[in-house]
Amino acid sequence: MSATSNPALASAKLIDPKALMSIRSLELRARAVVEGFWSGMHRSPYHGFSVEFTEYRQYTPGDDPRYLDWKVFARSDRYVIKKYEDETNLRVHLLADLSRSMDYGSVGFTKATYAATLAATLAYFIHLQGDAIGLLTFDEKVREYLPARHRVGHLRQIMLALEKPAAGRGTDLVAPLERITSLIRKRGLVALISDFLAPLDRLERNLLALAAGGQELTVFHIVDPAELNLGIEVPAMFEDVESARTLYIDPAAAREAYSRKFAAHTEALRAICRKLGVSYQQLSTAEPLEIALFEFLQQRMRRGRLFRRTGSMGTGGRS
Amino acid sequence: MNFLTPLFLLGGLAIAGPILYHLVRRTTRDKTVFSSLMFLLPSPPRLSKRHRLEHILLLLLRCAALALLALGFARPFLKQAPIIDPTAAQPKRIVVLVDTSASMRRDGVWAAARARAEEVLRRAGPADHVALYPFDRQATALVSFEDWNRTAPADRVAFAVGRLGALTPTWAGTHLGNALVTAAEALAENEDGKTAPGPRQIVLVSDLQAGSRLDALQAYEWPKGVELIVEAIKARNVTNAGVQFVADGPESTRAADAPVRVRVTNSPESKREQFKLGWTAATGAPATAANPSPTGEFLSAPIDAYVPPGQSRVFSVPVPKGMAGLEQISLRGDDEDFDNTAYVIPPAQQRATVLWIGRDVAEDVKQPLFFLRRAFAETPRVAVRIVASAPAAPLLPSDVQAASAIFVVDAVSTETATALREQALAGKTVVIAPKSVAFGPTLGALLGRPELTLTEGRTSNYAMLAEIDFQHPLFAPFADPRFSDFTKIHFWKFRKLDASGIIGARVVAKFDSGDPAIVEVPTGKGRIYVLTSGWQPEESQLAVSSKFVPLMWSLLEQAGGVASFATQYAVGDKVPLPADGTATTVRPPTGAAVALAAKAGEFAPTGQPGIYQLEGGAKPLRFAVNLDANESRTAPLATDELEQLGVPVARLKADAAVPAENKTLLQGLEAENRQKLWRWFVAATLAVLLIESALAGWTARRPALETQEVTP
Repeated sequence: MSATSNPALASAKLIDPKALMSIRSLELRARAVVEGFWSGMHRSPYHGFSVEFTEYRQYTPGDDPRYLDWKVFARSDRYVIKKYEDETNLRVHLLADLSRSMDYGSVGFTKATYAATLAATLAYFIHLQGDAIGLLTFDEKVREYLPARHRVGHLRQIMLALEKPAAGRGTDLVAPLERITSLIRKRGLVALISDFLAPLDRLERNLLALAAGGQELTVFHIVDPAELNLGIEVPAMFEDVESARTLYIDPAAAREAYSRKFAAHTEALRAICRKLGVSYQQLSTAEPLEIALFEFLQQRMRRGRLFRRTGSMGTGGRS
Repeated sequence: MNFLTPLFLLGGLAIAGPILYHLVRRTTRDKTVFSSLMFLLPSPPRLSKRHRLEHILLLLLRCAALALLALGFARPFLKQAPIIDPTAAQPKRIVVLVDTSASMRRDGVWAAARARAEEVLRRAGPADHVALYPFDRQATALVSFEDWNRTAPADRVAFAVGRLGALTPTWAGTHLGNALVTAAEALAENEDGKTAPGPRQIVLVSDLQAGSRLDALQAYEWPKGVELIVEAIKARNVTNAGVQFVADGPESTRAADAPVRVRVTNSPESKREQFKLGWTAATGAPATAANPSPTGEFLSAPIDAYVPPGQSRVFSVPVPKGMAGLEQISLRGDDEDFDNTAYVIPPAQQRATVLWIGRDVAEDVKQPLFFLRRAFAETPRVAVRIVASAPAAPLLPSDVQAASAIFVVDAVSTETATALREQALAGKTVVIAPKSVAFGPTLGALLGRPELTLTEGRTSNYAMLAEIDFQHPLFAPFADPRFSDFTKIHFWKFRKLDASGIIGARVVAKFDSGDPAIVEVPTGKGRIYVLTSGWQPEESQLAVSSKFVPLMWSLLEQAGGVASFATQYAVGDKVPLPADGTATTVRPPTGAAVALAAKAGEFAPTGQPGIYQLEGGAKPLRFAVNLDANESRTAPLATDELEQLGVPVARLKADAAVPAENKTLLQGLEAENRQKLWRWFVAATLAVLLIESALAGWTARRPALETQEVTP
């Protein structure tokens, strides 16, 4: 899936991932993607209004006087702004793979960086929508879990969790999916971001369990360009980043078998997704992130389940 | 090109290694990290195609390095006519020094030394000049260069070996320094007065014991071009202890039966430390009263001497009761016997008699006799009996006969004077110290010059001794400048004597007025001393001065009353004979008596340790000759010590040990040693390896660079 295959994105000025990844702060990266993507969008008329009260705040000149609490003023002769928690109707859970295999990259940055940026971008975007966002990072076991919330500072926590370096050795897709199945009770969206360099035997069952729980599933398959076609020319001792196993590989001889096996693996994954009605997207780390975001939204639109305030964005998002 | 160790050339086969290595495609050591190996299968390392070697230049360099190294190890040399050594063709001058000191008497040492010396002599080339010098305290030519050159070339070695065969070790100490100086000087001087062009060598055949004296080398500038080759002889036994008599001082008051102190030294490498020490009798000598058991066994219970290796201890050996007069202390339990006996002369009090003719009352402190008695106070060594006789009393023949010296201070009758003169003529010493001028006729009669008169000397205040003949035996003890000051002694009174009128008179000392103070008049076999002033306080301060006692003893010694004869000597020492010249023969410990030449001042051939006896005097004098104490220090001397003294010690050349049939190999060895081609090969190997490293590094980097460029 390349940038040119999308007619809507063909004319857009996309950010080169290399340039993007050179930004140190994950939050800034996410903001750069989302805001570039979102430029020209109007402000939501419903901004800041909700029924669920959260806190009081001192009024400062410039605040909207509509939100002044007149009762408090009457009681204490002080201007106080009443704040509400936006009510959401979507809970998005991001499942980010931070295993060691994600720590590989041939284009100047690693898949982990790319995945973290993608997760941050989605989180930022969804946060802007006022929807609750949760995060679960994992390698061979679950590392960190932040429940879906929409609260001050929550996004920051998600960014911090995502910024942690990939530490684990192997990749286990089963445990995080089982965990999230047990954790999420309310219906929502689950986005699984991984390189899927692990056996796929039980993936189908776990994804099925999630889907059966009413979760909407999206799979982002992150691949490095070198992984697609074994883009290494010199014969060398290959070292597995996860297991540290070494093998002497002559790429010229091994390339064909590799490509075949890798394609089979991808196809197996794709088949599972197709079977379960899960949206699948393969992302090469060389591709701009906007494509991922765009595809994400498009797929949601296709499903006709756009949530309340993204309707205007989906139709007139890009100018 | 030839090779000294051609087997090393097989190392060149290692070239096969790099060739195979280059045939095998390089299995990279580079590691490439990859996300997962789950889709990868290991690839087998591939062989390059046959006959297609990779990196030909590198391969050639590696092969060259191995080949050069193998060549270098094979020690190559170019066969060529042997280079004429400018010094080799020239005849060598060699002095062979053979140690004959007492320590060479150790078990097997002398035989080995003689064999080694013979070997050295046989090794000499036909044109070489060789001299053979045995040495102990001195080095003397056994075969001089002249002897060598005079002999027909074919007979020279046999001649020298024959002389060497007659040589035996002596009992003397090792004065190695003297010997080396003698040998170096023998080499330095040349027959025709020119320096010999060839190399000059000293071959030292010795046990090189630590007790060798090297002090002669300290002040000696070693001549250039003279090298020393040391042929050290190793002793079979390393254990050696020695015993030495600890000499008593001259003032010693040791009684005849007091314990004798001896020092026992043990060599550092010794394996024993427990010895027995005791009195023994001389072996082989007939049994006598002094030597009751000539078997060499201990005469009394020996004492245990514990001396750890490398140390020395002093032991007191008690004289067994009733056996005073023993002369030989032996050490038992040692491997080497040559230094295990010490000879001791038991102390004996000498007795002398002095006849005093004068009117003195013995205890009158103003009279000269009073002072003479105190001067001749008895000591453990000497007891002097003074027989006082009045001038008027007739001379008792027994007194006169016993007296060594006769002092006359008052005028006596002419008969007495004549009798005294006869005694002087017969060999006695008469000392005349006139108390007054009235002594004149007696003096005339004593000296046989009746016309002699004495007059009272005149002094303004006092007189001093001014001109003293320190050569004279009487004053010889004062010859040292520390003792030669007589100006503190004032003389108030003296008698004037015209010594010029006395035939043969010798003025030993004069007053500052020029008048004789002490005159010696040889009379027949004896002599008469005339002291023109007395020593009593009325006449002078002599009696109360520190010079008086030694002067009187000197007089008595001159008179033959006491002998100042030392009794301890080392082998080779010259023994000074008593000044009276009475000794005529010396009886060494073994062998026939040696007659002494008339007026011989000393006895030299003290060639063996033991008790010697001087005969001919009134009573025989005995002295002990012991081994040089340093001979017991038999630990080997480090040749470094010689080098520190500036003696260039050469190591023996290898060719000496190689048999003749290996001559080709020897020549090869020499040529190889000279050319040292292996150095060039090793240097070339290093250079090739450097180039190889640089090239290999460059080739290894190049693919990496290329891949970096490819990666966008």
